[in-house]
Amino acid sequence: MMDRHTQHSPAEPTYGVVWPLGRSTSERVDLSPPISDLSGKTVGEMWDYLFKGDSMFTILREKLRARYPGIKFVDYSEFGNTHGPKEREVVGKLPDALREHGCDIVISGVGA
Amino acid sequence: MRASIVAEKAGVRSVSLVASGFVKQARAIAQALGVQDLAIAEYPGVIMTDKEADFQRKIEAMADQVVEGLAAPVRAAPRKTEPGPRDIVFTGTLDGVHEFFLKNLWTDGLPVVPPTVERVEEFLRFTDRSPDDVLGVLLPEKREATVWNVAVNGVMAGCRPEYMPILIAAVEAISTPEFRIEDGGSTPGWEPLIILNGPIARELDFNSGQGAMRVGRQANTSIGRFLRLYWRNVAGLRIPPGATDKGTIALSFNVVLAENEEAVAEAGWQPFSVDRGFRAGDNVVTVQSMVSISSPIYCGGDKPEELARTLAEVFGRDTCGYWSFTGMRDQWFPLLVMSPSIAKALARGGWTKANLQRYLYDNAKIPAGMAERYAWQTGLTHFSIKRLVEDGTLPKEFHESDDPNRLVRVFMHPEWTGIVIAGDPDRNQCRGYVNNHKQGPPVSRKVELPARWTQLLKERRK
Repeated sequence: MMDRHTQHSPAEPTYGVVWPLGRSTSERVDLSPPISDLSGKTVGEMWDYLFKGDSMFTILREKLRARYPGIKFVDYSEFGNTHGPKEREVVGKLPDALREHGCDIVISGVGA
Repeated sequence: MRASIVAEKAGVRSVSLVASGFVKQARAIAQALGVQDLAIAEYPGVIMTDKEADFQRKIEAMADQVVEGLAAPVRAAPRKTEPGPRDIVFTGTLDGVHEFFLKNLWTDGLPVVPPTVERVEEFLRFTDRSPDDVLGVLLPEKREATVWNVAVNGVMAGCRPEYMPILIAAVEAISTPEFRIEDGGSTPGWEPLIILNGPIARELDFNSGQGAMRVGRQANTSIGRFLRLYWRNVAGLRIPPGATDKGTIALSFNVVLAENEEAVAEAGWQPFSVDRGFRAGDNVVTVQSMVSISSPIYCGGDKPEELARTLAEVFGRDTCGYWSFTGMRDQWFPLLVMSPSIAKALARGGWTKANLQRYLYDNAKIPAGMAERYAWQTGLTHFSIKRLVEDGTLPKEFHESDDPNRLVRVFMHPEWTGIVIAGDPDRNQCRGYVNNHKQGPPVSRKVELPARWTQLLKERRK
């Protein structure tokens, strides 16, 4: 239903308008399968060096170690700052770095 | 979050740690990048203002979410069908068009000129490029920037068709990887600023004089508005009810800053575009981010040092000092806009732009402890000047002692401070514009005019 702002006389011109956006080039990402048991898994820590992430990882490591025997962590310093001056270089090398370290899982932060 | 998507693409299961206020943004960006259900462990509240005990408790609770997120099924984002460039997406009255565009978040909140095919085609006459030419792909939505959609948004913003070559150059600039438009929705809420040089400024009636940065002149204003619209529509950076622009308080669009090249010549200086590596007389667009503006800075005296001292204090120490930590770890390009009388007074004293840049570099300083505190409170909780000196990012002079009151430079390199001459020739004022470090560094592009430019302009002015 039109409100008073959109009511118009028959003589009022109308406009056929086009879309102001652009074609999306986004591709669907094939995701890795869920992991329900973290025992014996290797976790890679990705940090953007913001918002106390170092403290967060310390606490998370402790909690997950207590719960899952054999869980291992690859410290964020092994990967570099994922949002720092060398972000593109660091992020570009991540797939190789994850393979080298045998990571099964990534915990990445901190978005804020 | 972007690192999580890279990990997923590499076949490694991921979970992202995200504060609650940013979850909607993270999900929207993940979806735009092809992931429907990226696993997120949510920190409730604001990390930087929580008590330490609350922080500890909340992170402990996030451990469960990490585990649940890793175990949850994840789907790829469904492919949506979207319109083609020439598809008519709506037909209706002017008010109907406004309502439709508002509902779809395709406007800046103001009414737009309806982008009909006929109006768009009139814009396309002012470029020799194909409408289908792709100028770049803009994150976070990864949409193609094309000559066609530049024209569409130019129509909507109230531009004249003859502005088209400038619109294309501006979009080319923001499409470059070094511009990092993907960070255009970061919390500082930075805004792009277009700086224009060359004879086209006079030809198309830009205001470079009194009130240069105020809305009111069609060329300056509508092109400034165009870039903000393009930011929303093609990059996909939108404030609520959108989710991808997280500017905390943020700024609104800037009108185009056109340099007064006659005043530059009278001072015997060179235009900003020449500083940027172009020839005098070239039509050049430079786009850079702007995150804050100084007070009006009045400079008086007939000796260069007298004029420059106030600039070092107000533009350097007081305005840029707060954001200087960003320059200490990365690139940073503050901009000084100067009314002609000050440029001429400096030039009379024998100073070039380089002399002024050097003076600001040498004399604008703040206490090191203050810079570190500002960085930490912004969220750079790992920031340390000492560490930056140790890893070679900063020179040794930044850490000659542990005294937090030792003074350190605000500007890392003299030439990183841009200088543009504009504003009222009858007053002695400057304004400083603070750039947002590596997010939106200055990127310049030459304006390419169509072969029939002069003829087309004549036809428009009949």
